[in-house]
Amino acid sequence: MTSGANTQRLIGPAKIAGGVVLALLAAVGLVLLADASPWEAAKGIVEGAFGDKYRIGETFLRATPLAIVALGVAPALRTGIFSIGSEGQLALGAITSTAVILGLRDAPGVVLIIVGALAGAVGGAAWAFIPALMRARWKASEILATLLLNYLAGLLLLWLLRTHLGTSENVATPRSDNLPKDALLPKLLSETRLHWGIVLVPLLALGLAWWVRSGRGLAHDVYSTLPGLGARMGVRDSSAVLGTMVVSGACAGLAGWLQVAGVQGTLYPSVAGGLGFIGVLVALLGGLRPVGIIVAAFFFGALSTGADGVQAGTGVPASLATVLQGGILLAAGLLFAARARRVRRTLMARSDEPTPQPAPAVAP
Amino acid sequence: MNVTDLIFWEIVLAGALRLATPIAFAALGEAIVERSGTINVGVDGIMVAGAFAGVYGANQGGWVTGVLLAAAVGAGLGLVMALSVLWGGVDQIVTGIALALLGTGLTSYLFQVWQPSGRSAVLIPLAPTIKIPGLKDIPLVGEALFAQNLLTYVCVVLVVATAWALRRTRAGLAVRASGDDPAAALVRGIRVRAVRTSSLAVGGALAGIGGASITVGYLGSYSDGITAGRGFIALAVVIIGRWTPIGAALGALLFAGFDSLSLQAQGGTIKGLPVEAYSALPYAVTIIVLVATARRQRAPRSLGRPLVAER
Repeated sequence: MTSGANTQRLIGPAKIAGGVVLALLAAVGLVLLADASPWEAAKGIVEGAFGDKYRIGETFLRATPLAIVALGVAPALRTGIFSIGSEGQLALGAITSTAVILGLRDAPGVVLIIVGALAGAVGGAAWAFIPALMRARWKASEILATLLLNYLAGLLLLWLLRTHLGTSENVATPRSDNLPKDALLPKLLSETRLHWGIVLVPLLALGLAWWVRSGRGLAHDVYSTLPGLGARMGVRDSSAVLGTMVVSGACAGLAGWLQVAGVQGTLYPSVAGGLGFIGVLVALLGGLRPVGIIVAAFFFGALSTGADGVQAGTGVPASLATVLQGGILLAAGLLFAARARRVRRTLMARSDEPTPQPAPAVAP
Repeated sequence: MNVTDLIFWEIVLAGALRLATPIAFAALGEAIVERSGTINVGVDGIMVAGAFAGVYGANQGGWVTGVLLAAAVGAGLGLVMALSVLWGGVDQIVTGIALALLGTGLTSYLFQVWQPSGRSAVLIPLAPTIKIPGLKDIPLVGEALFAQNLLTYVCVVLVVATAWALRRTRAGLAVRASGDDPAAALVRGIRVRAVRTSSLAVGGALAGIGGASITVGYLGSYSDGITAGRGFIALAVVIIGRWTPIGAALGALLFAGFDSLSLQAQGGTIKGLPVEAYSALPYAVTIIVLVATARRQRAPRSLGRPLVAER
């Protein structure tokens, strides 16, 4: 290996360290701007996320929908399909499960829970089917179709809460009737809000782990970088798009059901509340792998409960969490990019073949 | 006033041009960015930041300061994207998503630090409205074309100027060559990476001004979620407008036309459907047009591809 390659190898980690340091410096600067001590804020984040049993429960509670959304969207992202519509799919899942549960309110608890989960998954999948069809059939950009459909889902939710699904009680903010007690998921940990829905996370992670290792998953991986070879391995564009996007929609819909039946016990306008969008980030940060995603979801969950704690304690706005999440994704992106370059160079050193040209990330 | 009155359509048309301005600014910037070969999915985050920078700047030193600050902030965020994508090698879409989040999060944070909860209504001087006497009294289109905010006229001039510059100047050629065939461009001595970097800075500045043209142009105040996804609409209209500045501006006008109609519906002038359906109309129309025009698109040939040719 020439000295030129060695210098390049040194530049990689330097860039990453630079990214992380820059993100942290920016965060410190922001905290100082709010007239607070960065040390206190950092302590506040840790205490807010792990300070007592209730807060630890909250951290897991926040991480659950993020992990479910992320695990669901990972196959699409691995195939090179940028589905960013989990936000709307989550809202749709929450709507359909609420509607079905309220419609069957006198049914036994087991039925309500199973049917609620199914309805959520179907609702989310149906909403995801729209942009999937647009992409598969008419080659419309799935990025834009999914993003724009998020806004339509939000408006649909507002309309339903004002009309068919709205409670007849006199309430300040629109919401649905309370779900019957039997439809609610039991608590997993006393004195916290953590519910049994979290068991879906390891199950879905196992599913993703299996898929990634299967021939199908490998073919999708190949398809995202070398579409020609992937096609020869049996990946058809339309079925890949429809399949992966519907799966991501079903998972987001499940997360929507959990927010209604596990956390709030009612449908409300901000049920998605950025969970879908940040879930996609979690998937990317987790390197689109099951374990990585769980770690990333836990990390982002802790950041957001921690930031809430900081806001209560020091008055530093909780949106610090959002800033940190965006900054960390950028820094992590640099990390992955550097690693990919290293792998490419190693491959190049081992064979005399030229590096394959990376395919476009998207075909709008 | 009802749908059959001339004045109703006068108001809708005038509103359409006003509401199209922010999207047209951002879409113009994104058209330049995409013609040079990069996709910036984070436009919405930059618009939000620009909207806030506009309010802050206008509050400190008048509307010109606001617009300039918004442009500077937007250019800065565009450079962050360039650093990450062109110099750091990060995926464009991932960076764009991070930027969208960073822009909204950062802005929400700074806004709360500047105006702790409860004091949200900051009054700022707006950019002036230019009324051309005589012409503005033309029925139907007079108010729309000759009594607009100064920023709207600036936008029209910039759109036309950019369309010309992209086609007729050396800089325009460099931008197009970088987006279509970076390898050949490099051979001809065009510094592709530098061209894409400056395009991102210019595009960011325009998106920032687009954000400011909401707050400094007509709204007069900032609140979280102020763009309602207009940055994403800007991305869509660039595609709908086939990557040309004028096409993108017309796409912006299409969205804004329906947006303006839905505002009238919210005001109770038109009835029949629920308010939410009218609010959904502009987004739905954009999606439908996006799908309808998708097959006939000719994107810049290297759009979205990482810059492989090193230096």
